[in-house]
Amino acid sequence: MPKVFFREALTRAIAEEMTREPRLFLLGQDIAEHGGSYAETRGLLERFGSARVRNTPVAEAMTIGFAAGAAAAGLRAMAFITYLDFLLLGLDALVNYAAKLHFKSGGQLSAPIVVKATAGAKGQGPTHAQAIESWLMNVPGLTVLAPSNAGDAYGLLKSALRSPGPVVFIDHKRLFPLGGFVPDQEELIPIGTAAVTRTGRDLTLVAHSYMSVVALQAATQLSAAGIEAEVIDLRSLWPIDWGTLSASAQHTGHLLVVEEGQVVCGVGAELAFGLRERIPKLRIGRLGARRLPVAASPVLEAYTIPGVQAIVHAAHGLLGERGWSGDL
Amino acid sequence: MIPGELGEAMEVRLLLWCKTEGQRLGTGDALLEFETDKALVLVAASQPAVLRRCFFREGEWMKPGDMVAWLSDEPGEPLPGEAGARAEDLLVDFHVT
Repeated sequence: MPKVFFREALTRAIAEEMTREPRLFLLGQDIAEHGGSYAETRGLLERFGSARVRNTPVAEAMTIGFAAGAAAAGLRAMAFITYLDFLLLGLDALVNYAAKLHFKSGGQLSAPIVVKATAGAKGQGPTHAQAIESWLMNVPGLTVLAPSNAGDAYGLLKSALRSPGPVVFIDHKRLFPLGGFVPDQEELIPIGTAAVTRTGRDLTLVAHSYMSVVALQAATQLSAAGIEAEVIDLRSLWPIDWGTLSASAQHTGHLLVVEEGQVVCGVGAELAFGLRERIPKLRIGRLGARRLPVAASPVLEAYTIPGVQAIVHAAHGLLGERGWSGDL
Repeated sequence: MIPGELGEAMEVRLLLWCKTEGQRLGTGDALLEFETDKALVLVAASQPAVLRRCFFREGEWMKPGDMVAWLSDEPGEPLPGEAGARAEDLLVDFHVT
């Protein structure tokens, strides 16, 4: 298995799918000559030409509208939005048009687009660092993916690029500096499948995107204290892999959901309630960002977003080993 | 050593050794090139030295804090662990472009 940078896993997935599907084209800011905000489209202009790798102005509403329209007319499009925060400008085309087209047209039309956006905090401050992916889970017709490593990004992006409906593919700024393993041969990861990244008997720790990396670090610390956490990386926020989640939560009896976004109406809120409906006796803890905008200061950013210690503390609290107010 | 100051780049990939073990470097000579998630980094000697030992191969991954190579002032100078080696080894600075 070759080890690659996160961006290289994306590049490989895109290149393979563009080779397979001549109707697929890319559009976004600086994706052509510059090679993308994260160098994830480097080399694609030279390989596939300017008709299929198209720069756009700083105009996200147009970018997603253009992608959705072209897709409805028979093409496939992948739109690059540098920060997830900027997706708000393109939500109308995504939510009101792309996500509903299949239903509105009685199944005659669809908008096979993938919108890739980068979420998460890494010093960019209040409007360039949000983790607002839970908002998208509320939209019928939208698939929402958020991998945590290069291998999953590769396999999921390939599935997304073959998907019939609109997909939002969310990565994270802190994933790009990490190396990860991708398969030798072409391989797809089915949408809607979570991954058990660590097995354990005492509690189920669920996270997605970069928080899955943090959750694994927390699980290692918990293990040193005699607590074995099972860690589940969601990978797909919608559809949710209720089967994998339920099996684990049933087994451990304790669920701790962790996310970088807000707890209120967050990803964890949906998971917690959905699993409580399935497993009435399940004990549940939720952990997410404090109810604050993300600060540009690294100190305040770390204060706002849960880290390893917050997860460890919450896990102890959930298991009743320490007084835990639930308010970190 | 790969500097900890690289900070955000948690892993880097060694692309190229510009010298082989035993070769001399003059001030400003390129020693190696590595890649972060964002940039190509060329590391050049800030003083004359001899490349004695390379600890990574081209294409291998390195982390901040990893020892990449040993250099000495003279070709025959004992290396750490060898008889007559100096009690203390110094880290020297490199130019990075």
